[in-house]
Amino acid sequence: MRLLLVEDEMLLAAQVDKFLRDQGFVVDMAADGETGLYQAREFDYAAALIDLGLPRLDGIALIKALRSENIATPVLILTARNAVQDVVAGLEAGADDYLAKPFDMDELLARLRALVRRAGGHAAALIRYGPLELDPSRRQIRVDGRPVALTAFEYRLLEYLAMKPGRVVSKAELTDQIYEQDFDRDSNTIEVFVGRLRRKLDTDKRFGFIHTVRGQGYRFGE
Amino acid sequence: MTRGAPGTRLRPLQRLRLQTRLLLISAIVLAACLGSVGWLLDRAFRATVVAAAEEELRAICFGLLGLFEEREGGLVATHAAEPRLQQRGSGYYAFVEPAAGTPLWRSPTLLATGRPAAPMPKRPAVGEFHFEAAGRSAPHFVAAYTVNWELADVVTTLWVLADQAPYRERMADGRRRIAIGLGAAAGIFVLAQLAALAWGMRPLRRMARRVRALEAGDQDSIGTDYPPELSPLAHNLNSFIAAEKTARERYRRAMDDLAHSLKTPLAVLKNALREPGPSSALLGEQVQRMTTAIGYQLSRAVAAPVRPTAGRVVLAPLAVRIVRALERAWPGKTAVVDLPAPASAANLAVRGDERDLMEMLGNLIENAFKYGRTRVRVSLREPSAGDAGTLTVAVEDDGPGVPPAQRKAVLQRGVRADAATEGQGLGLAIAQELAEDYGGSVTITESEDLGGTKLLLALPPHPGTADVA
Repeated sequence: MRLLLVEDEMLLAAQVDKFLRDQGFVVDMAADGETGLYQAREFDYAAALIDLGLPRLDGIALIKALRSENIATPVLILTARNAVQDVVAGLEAGADDYLAKPFDMDELLARLRALVRRAGGHAAALIRYGPLELDPSRRQIRVDGRPVALTAFEYRLLEYLAMKPGRVVSKAELTDQIYEQDFDRDSNTIEVFVGRLRRKLDTDKRFGFIHTVRGQGYRFGE
Repeated sequence: MTRGAPGTRLRPLQRLRLQTRLLLISAIVLAACLGSVGWLLDRAFRATVVAAAEEELRAICFGLLGLFEEREGGLVATHAAEPRLQQRGSGYYAFVEPAAGTPLWRSPTLLATGRPAAPMPKRPAVGEFHFEAAGRSAPHFVAAYTVNWELADVVTTLWVLADQAPYRERMADGRRRIAIGLGAAAGIFVLAQLAALAWGMRPLRRMARRVRALEAGDQDSIGTDYPPELSPLAHNLNSFIAAEKTARERYRRAMDDLAHSLKTPLAVLKNALREPGPSSALLGEQVQRMTTAIGYQLSRAVAAPVRPTAGRVVLAPLAVRIVRALERAWPGKTAVVDLPAPASAANLAVRGDERDLMEMLGNLIENAFKYGRTRVRVSLREPSAGDAGTLTVAVEDDGPGVPPAQRKAVLQRGVRADAATEGQGLGLAIAQELAEDYGGSVTITESEDLGGTKLLLALPPHPGTADVA
């Protein structure tokens, strides 16, 4: 099995390389983000180990670049940073797992094996806002336990708004988030979607999920 | 603490609003000015009225002289007196009195009533005119003139009295006019003052509004559109805010770099220690201690709880973000985020730094993913009466749970409940320390629904939370 290790600390890289080779892996090494990206484009790796603090192209930018090019190689991030924020940012960028330095080699091995076994696709958390329930993995909505049929656009619009309760989201921002690039960017279509969402979610106007903020956009919640 | 800083006790006068102060001062000045102007005007008007009365009475008095003709042995009234002395109820009276004895002549108006009972002033010397306005209570003005009729060889005093009532009416009327005039002036002045205040205070109000927005995290500067008196303050405040932000970011970056540059060699050391050697156990232990210390101390060092420019962090989206990120790393575990209805979810906010909140929530949620067998639940509840006003985030799992005896130890710095798993306890200890910096707490209990650990993060709500609702 061929692995990509992107790590700028030569000593650590050499240790990990030796350990993984002893375990029967083939390891390609890259000492900076750009080389890593080049390698990942060229070869089909079973998994990539990427350090977050890399020269030239940092780990998160590297992962984003991979994902934007539809390179689905499972990524395990190695982080020496201190904050949950970095882990969250790495996972949001498209990493599949993380390991904090200094890590245990046996744990690294276990995680790597699990990562390779994992055939992509994972459950997504159910999000409940009082009577409103969003199920991102199935793209389903329930209000008061009753399922509501939404189109893909309507679902995306609602999910985007629901991730930002209390914040005003402009129509332009919604358009950018919801549509593919070449879509007709007429902001009236957003109004139409919002109107339909309101009718579907809140028939008797009890909950007031989506508010219009005159001249500014929409807001989820008060 | 300096004087006037929040929390310092102020004397009642120091607590007065600026607007109240200005209004109070102008009210006092206005009352004093208008009061004295009114008093002077009133006095002047009274003096005019009294002087007019004196003139009138002098004229009547001298008019009386022409009534009489001197005859030997006495005076004889030759014509009738002027109409005012004839008409009953005119309020004018006169009589002529010799030095001793009964009056020689009385005006027809006096005939009915006789000599007025009022105490009369002393009669003046010959050839002198005397006028007595007397006090407010005296019913009459009195004028007297003493004449020596040489031919008749008699000295008489001519007394003229005038009822004060009509004069008093004129004075009252004058006073009313003065009062109306001054009242109107005062009204205009007060209105002008209020308008000036509203206009003058507008930049201050704007600044106050923006400082509130700053505190709420809606803005990151207070703008520059202020008059010259305020613009240096606004400028300084803006630079202070910007400098504070830059310094904090630089500090964090330095701490991150420090963590990075310490942890990587530690990783190398740890890996090197896999080869058994004479002191590998000791070295391994020390590497672990250093790792714990770095993780713990650096996390604490970058915490930025209540700062002047702390923003408003809404918890719901943060919790959702963390769960959705972490679940990628823990496949096979299903998570549920339970939030209150959207309107309330937007109001569950904390004053502070997003990164700190992420650190607290993230450490708890990560713990649940790590130890939960299949299920994780994160719930946010609106504060209820029983929570003493704190926001509560509950993070539950269906893992083995933490035995009650170990719960306290787990939250203490770097103490780990299960030495086999890397970092357990450290994350919770960091979350606990941060929560305490924010005036909150982390407690470990048992999850009734899921059967594993229930971590409760309690935090004080954003002070502006109620306003926003």
